[in-house]
Amino acid sequence: MFRFIASFFTKLIQMMLQVLSSKKHIIHNLLSIYVKTSGGQTVCLDIDPKCDVSHIKKLVAPQINLQPDELKIIFAGKELADDYVIEECDLGQQSILHVVKIKSPKLNEVFRCSTPKANLSPLTESLDYSTFSSEDENTEKPLERKAHFYVYCPNCKGLKQGKLRVRCHFCKSGAFTVHSDPQDWSHVLQPKQITGTCENDPEYCQELLQNCEPTFAEFYFKCSEHVSLGECDQAVPLDLIRPNLRHIPCLACLDVPETMFTFPCQKDHIACLDCFRSYCLSKLLERQFWQHPEHGYTLACPNGCLNSFIREIHHFRLLDDDNYDRYQRFATEEFVLRSGGLLCPQPGCGMGILAEPDCTRITCQQCKYVFCRNCLQGFHIGPCDPVEPSLDAQGNCDVDLNCPVVEDPSRTTIKVITKPCPSCKTPTERDGGCMHMICTRSGCQFHWCWVCQTEWTRECMADHWFA
Amino acid sequence: MAALPRRIIKETQRLMQEPVPGISAVPDDSNARYFHVIVTGPEDSPFEGGLFKLELFLPEDYPMSAPKVRFITKIYHPNIDRLGRICLDILKDKWSPALQIRTVLLSIQALLSAPNPDDPLANDVAELWKVNESEAIRNAKEWTRRYAMDN
Ligand SMILES: [Zn+2]
Ligand SMILES: [Zn+2]
Ligand SMILES: [Zn+2]
Ligand SMILES: [Zn+2]
Ligand SMILES: [Zn+2]
Ligand SMILES: [Zn+2]
Ligand SMILES: [Zn+2]
Ligand SMILES: [Zn+2]
Repeated sequence: MFRFIASFFTKLIQMMLQVLSSKKHIIHNLLSIYVKTSGGQTVCLDIDPKCDVSHIKKLVAPQINLQPDELKIIFAGKELADDYVIEECDLGQQSILHVVKIKSPKLNEVFRCSTPKANLSPLTESLDYSTFSSEDENTEKPLERKAHFYVYCPNCKGLKQGKLRVRCHFCKSGAFTVHSDPQDWSHVLQPKQITGTCENDPEYCQELLQNCEPTFAEFYFKCSEHVSLGECDQAVPLDLIRPNLRHIPCLACLDVPETMFTFPCQKDHIACLDCFRSYCLSKLLERQFWQHPEHGYTLACPNGCLNSFIREIHHFRLLDDDNYDRYQRFATEEFVLRSGGLLCPQPGCGMGILAEPDCTRITCQQCKYVFCRNCLQGFHIGPCDPVEPSLDAQGNCDVDLNCPVVEDPSRTTIKVITKPCPSCKTPTERDGGCMHMICTRSGCQFHWCWVCQTEWTRECMADHWFA
Repeated sequence: MAALPRRIIKETQRLMQEPVPGISAVPDDSNARYFHVIVTGPEDSPFEGGLFKLELFLPEDYPMSAPKVRFITKIYHPNIDRLGRICLDILKDKWSPALQIRTVLLSIQALLSAPNPDDPLANDVAELWKVNESEAIRNAKEWTRRYAMDN
């Protein structure tokens, strides 16, 4: 135990020293980087960001027994030209450069000639939203605004700016140069869109190289807000969150946000991040998310545009932690319901339960509640009790209208009664005095009668419309 | 209370500057999300000559969710229930943030001109409207005279 505490403190002190030393780096403007050889050797360098690539070659060459002019330095899918100043790439602390021996000077020359000088800069720089958006850049001067990619970082647990990186599709090596720049998100998000040259050693890619066949680029993202934790430290691209270069107003609040959520409907329907959050939350609470067979539990454009489902469900990470948990729970529940299961009716439980179709006595594994499958009340022998129309909630809509503060404590004393939707068995609360229930679950929307607990009919209207 | 979104401010300004003919909507002095609405009964409808009071409330997540609207003045209409609640698809599942307070009020006005007994909210009213339209219209006129004219 004491050893553990002691080692914990040593670690803590080390961490503090690291913080201090990285501060020192900022003061002295030194950059710690790794240079990785194709043989797997890693050289650590502290360099002045004002130095150029030829300087790095001079530093690295003796350590790997080669001459500087035998080396190629690769970063983010591009070979860096000798006169390229390190400061101009967006290298973060502890970034990894790849160094390879020039294999066939002839081949290399071909690429040098065919590659315009401007392209010998890292991808992240040549590829920004001015290349990604087909808009007229002349009016906007996009270079003056710093373009960003946005990611969900599992390490920082939040929305962060990200950096685009590239590696070999086959061997995953970063010693890889692309033949062309990606032009849009599909090039980046879908596999095998952009060809390139793998400079790595593994036989497979080597064979491809010798046959002069290209290999493919694989793009991935890193969080730019924490020090790289190595090659597997990746972030999820949130491709629908973009800088609002064209100053489109939010469809909900009409503000012109700097960063926008773009609905995937090609109609310039965008929302500011706050309104997007509020949209997700209100749809979530009404269980209006849709279980899409490919993308999962998701939403479409709020204006109801066709085929506008959000594909990358990590965008819902914009919800706060509690509501993201709720999102995951509802998604699981929706899956349970679609697989013919049911949900525990105990308030605060809601566990998904898969039971034999003819079994009416259900026991919740989580809270141990034993209930009747048909009426979701406590288990009973014999037919379900016909539930008398309750008078508790009459006229609630007046309260709704006049008190915008829903958290009014007096309202929580109103006895909340839930009954299962007769079609999908989702526990449903009644609000207002009307007996006509419409299941709010997006997959169901069954019209049913609170009193009869069957489909809503004209007889129900005539006999017991209101409480 | 959080600051009022620009969207609500803009919509309110527009409602005041270019009001919808036959409709007045005025925000409450103490709550800018709560509107006092008066709709004039449309010509050639059983509601002609009546002034109908409604209340309209913009929930916290408006316009991601629909405004809540209710008739305060009693009205005999197959799509409006005893509590004044309105059966209108754009107030429920057909709501989209592209719609506005203005569109909602216009739709309500249109509903007064063209009651739809096939999508009813008020049982007996809808039933009568289908079985005996002239009697239903007589009732609607009578209710208009009794509840929507004297003030
Ligand atoms: Zn991070
Ligand atoms: Zn490879
Ligand atoms: Zn907004
Ligand atoms: Zn759209
Ligand atoms: Zn349970
Ligand atoms: Zn039962
Ligand atoms: Zn249902
Ligand atoms: Zn019934």
